[in-house]
Amino acid sequence: MKTTAFTKTYNKRVVLNLPELELPKGQITAVIGPNGSGKSTFAKILAGIERADDRRPVLSGVSVGYLPQKSFPFRMSTEKNILQNGNDPACASALMKALGIEALAGQSAKKLSGGETARMALCRILMRRYALLILDEPTAAMDMESTLAAEECIRRYCDETGCGVLLITHSISQAKRLADQIIVLHEGKLIEQGDTERVLASPREEQTRRFLEFFGV
Amino acid sequence: MGSSIRKAIELILSADPELLNILSTTAKVCLTSSILALVLGVPIGILLGAERFPGRKVLLVLNRTLIGMPPVVCGLLFYMLFSGVGPFRHLHWLFTVKLMILAQVVLITPIIVGVMETFVADTAPALRETTRGLGFGRLKEYRLLMNECLYSIFSAYLLSFARAIAEVGAVAMVGGAIAWKTNVMTTAIMMYTNRGSFTLGIALGLILLTLSLLVNIVLSVMQGRLSR
Repeated sequence: MKTTAFTKTYNKRVVLNLPELELPKGQITAVIGPNGSGKSTFAKILAGIERADDRRPVLSGVSVGYLPQKSFPFRMSTEKNILQNGNDPACASALMKALGIEALAGQSAKKLSGGETARMALCRILMRRYALLILDEPTAAMDMESTLAAEECIRRYCDETGCGVLLITHSISQAKRLADQIIVLHEGKLIEQGDTERVLASPREEQTRRFLEFFGV
Repeated sequence: MGSSIRKAIELILSADPELLNILSTTAKVCLTSSILALVLGVPIGILLGAERFPGRKVLLVLNRTLIGMPPVVCGLLFYMLFSGVGPFRHLHWLFTVKLMILAQVVLITPIIVGVMETFVADTAPALRETTRGLGFGRLKEYRLLMNECLYSIFSAYLLSFARAIAEVGAVAMVGGAIAWKTNVMTTAIMMYTNRGSFTLGIALGLILLTLSLLVNIVLSVMQGRLSR
């Protein structure tokens, strides 16, 4: 999948200016970068939630699923929330079990904790097959055990469906564990893109090196 | 005072025909106007809260102005429109229950619009980001939004019913407080107090207070459920 080059301006300030990008199918691409580098805006524009300056879709003819940072729990049970995105109770049950929320199936989703809501939201988005799945910090509210289970589910989804996954993350270790390739954003610009091992082991750009050093990589 | 309250309670318990007539007229006016206002106000409120379109802010300011409109001004407006010199005089609606209902619809619809708009404007952006991210269509998005609004709709209805039942200015002007025809609880309290007949006034006052208490209890319970 190829995105078109685009810019995004807020209040006369260019917050994103990106070239064409290749997002391979069946692979996980992690987007990393400091706060304010434009990661979430990039995700929203790809998902069609926000528009680029020229108002044209950046990806066309492709089904895109997008999990926002704070997903909304609908006023119904956890299981019904998940089944809103696909009428397959067996699949919903398997996902809930994998993410450790099967005991909460009948509970009102409004009563879930932050971490439980994040797990419910991940189950819900994984119910359907998208050509590109964008996950904006899906494990930010989860503990270590849930994070590892979530990562396993994301990897399995990617392998089984062959869809591309774009993972916005602040965690370099998560990118290392999960991603096949990494995109580094800085001040709205793409400063580096490449295989995970290569980018983490020998970054070509000074800004990437400094960013990774901060995280002890 | 004590004997007046005792007599008022006796009047309620004896099912006085005039008292029953006032109660039935009040129920007819308030239930019909609040249901009509709900049917009109909920979609307008949801639309104003969920969508962004040119003129939306003007409509919001207009609605907030209408929420604060004094009932006598509303009554005066309808009196002029339907009186012998008004454009709608041929309908002969002045001093009828129909016009009382219409005036109350105009008074309470903005309250429902305001409650719904505030709730939806707060809820819709997060819900929409999630539903669009999941790839849901507009119909499903609105169905889920309505599901979120359920308790707000109920609260808005109870608020509008409470306003309708306590309202006196507009219904007195367009209804004329005619005994056995357009007299509702609030206008009857005024009428009997002016005549120095306190018993029926106190009886109606007790019923009004009880209804107000019931509405508030239901509202508190619903708000408790909504906040969970």
